[in-house]
Amino acid sequence: MGDPHPKLHATELTRTFGRAPRAVEALGPVGLTIAPGEFVCLVGPSGCGKSTLLRIAAGLLRPSTGRLEIRTTSPRPAAMIFQDYGIYDWKTVRANVRFGLDIQRVPRREANARADTWLARMGLADFAQAYPATLSGGMRQRVAIARALAVEPELLLMDEPFAALDAQLRMILQEELLELTQTTRTTTLFVTHSLEEAIVLGDRVLVMSARPGRIIAEQRPPFPRPRTGDIRSTPEFTTLKSELWALLRKEAVPA
Amino acid sequence: MTTVTKPSAESLLVRRPGPQELHPVRTHRRRRALELALAAAVPLLLVLLWQLAASQAWIDDRVYPAPSTILADGWDRAAAGDLWPDVWATLKRVLAGYAVGTAAGYVLGLLMGSLPLVRAALEPLLDALYVVPKLALLPIFLNMFGLGEGPQVALVAVTVFFFVWISTMSAVITVPLGHRDAGRVFGASPWQMFHHVLLPASLPQVLVGARIAAGVAVLVIVASEQIAATNGLGHLIFDSRALFQNDVMFVGIVCVAALGVLFSELIRLVGRLLTPWAPRDRGRGQS
Repeated sequence: MGDPHPKLHATELTRTFGRAPRAVEALGPVGLTIAPGEFVCLVGPSGCGKSTLLRIAAGLLRPSTGRLEIRTTSPRPAAMIFQDYGIYDWKTVRANVRFGLDIQRVPRREANARADTWLARMGLADFAQAYPATLSGGMRQRVAIARALAVEPELLLMDEPFAALDAQLRMILQEELLELTQTTRTTTLFVTHSLEEAIVLGDRVLVMSARPGRIIAEQRPPFPRPRTGDIRSTPEFTTLKSELWALLRKEAVPA
Repeated sequence: MTTVTKPSAESLLVRRPGPQELHPVRTHRRRRALELALAAAVPLLLVLLWQLAASQAWIDDRVYPAPSTILADGWDRAAAGDLWPDVWATLKRVLAGYAVGTAAGYVLGLLMGSLPLVRAALEPLLDALYVVPKLALLPIFLNMFGLGEGPQVALVAVTVFFFVWISTMSAVITVPLGHRDAGRVFGASPWQMFHHVLLPASLPQVLVGARIAAGVAVLVIVASEQIAATNGLGHLIFDSRALFQNDVMFVGIVCVAALGVLFSELIRLVGRLLTPWAPRDRGRGQS
């Protein structure tokens, strides 16, 4: 690739779970390069190691072989958003959003101000003092997004963040995320099951094979930024989607 | 928000395989060996320290006999056959009481968990009885059953009953509604519902209660044998203390400890066989 300074660069990355003789090869080998500011979507069948790759990037898991490099200015460049939100029931919405800042020992006054900015941006300002249990699923996921973005991460890792939401809410949050990332230009690795989601959001869509997951195809959705969800109705969108589906179907059918 | 990064301040964060990934078998083996070594070394070290303290006369070895003395004495008593009647007496009471208490606790817990009316009727009463120290019931049992095995077995049974009852009831109440609904839609009879859904769904939690109860059963029997028995390990411990046979007292204590560990490990093993789907319970319980 042309970029001499990629944000994230993985070579020959594999991950095996368990020990021989019952070892399961979950991932790879995978090579991956992400440029600064790029939004990369990873699609693949269930259990293909998408999340494993993400967890390696997050530093939650070590690779079995290979290496993954992140070019960064801070020791903890990544923030992660989980499928089941991962927000804490025992913290108010504002305290949840402030969590990453509290961990980084940002002074309380500044942390509150930054948390409130993000709450306002996510339309949660009125719920700052509410507990997550009183919120709907979509609002909880907004809290999780605000929590991740409040630390201004250099690398945003999203693990099927909208999988637990209903279809309409999904589309709405996709639009919001699109708007958000187009202004912040945060480097993002986004794992999803949904081809549509990947095409709408991604600068690049990578298709993974069934386990052990390798990257079998790469597509650049031909929609200039800033874009909106309206691209769903274009013929290019439909063509790209069926193209990717043809690839993915072969992998998704159980062997 | 992420500003354009200055190449000068940039560093490379590398995620690479650690020792566990590079040598999985070796790392696992070392880890297991270390765990086993620690599990054996810590008690051993304490016993050695005790031995040293006794032989160096840092402690009075008439009050705290050296481990070697206790071991020798225990060996002699076991070889001569003096120890087994007491061990056997205690074991019999524990097993009998445990069986009765578990069965009663399970049945009542199941009924109260599934039938709200039974729960409404009995819960306040049982809650009140639960907080009564079980040893305080021993005089009542002595009046009821006389001086034989009855009061001892009854005391163990009552103690065990409460642990199993509470864990069963809460397990049955927390069986997910979806599990029951699926059975109801198929038209499951009460017996089928119990057999296919409630029993397996509640079993892991019931077994945790049962294992804690196993430890407490040993605890209670020792106390009650001290008060109202003419044999058994509890009797042995307190009797020998009264006779200034401190080494015999410690033999009894060691036997009780061994009995407790064996019993609760046995329950854990049974539990593992009964619930192959459940995550392994490695906790020690708070007994």
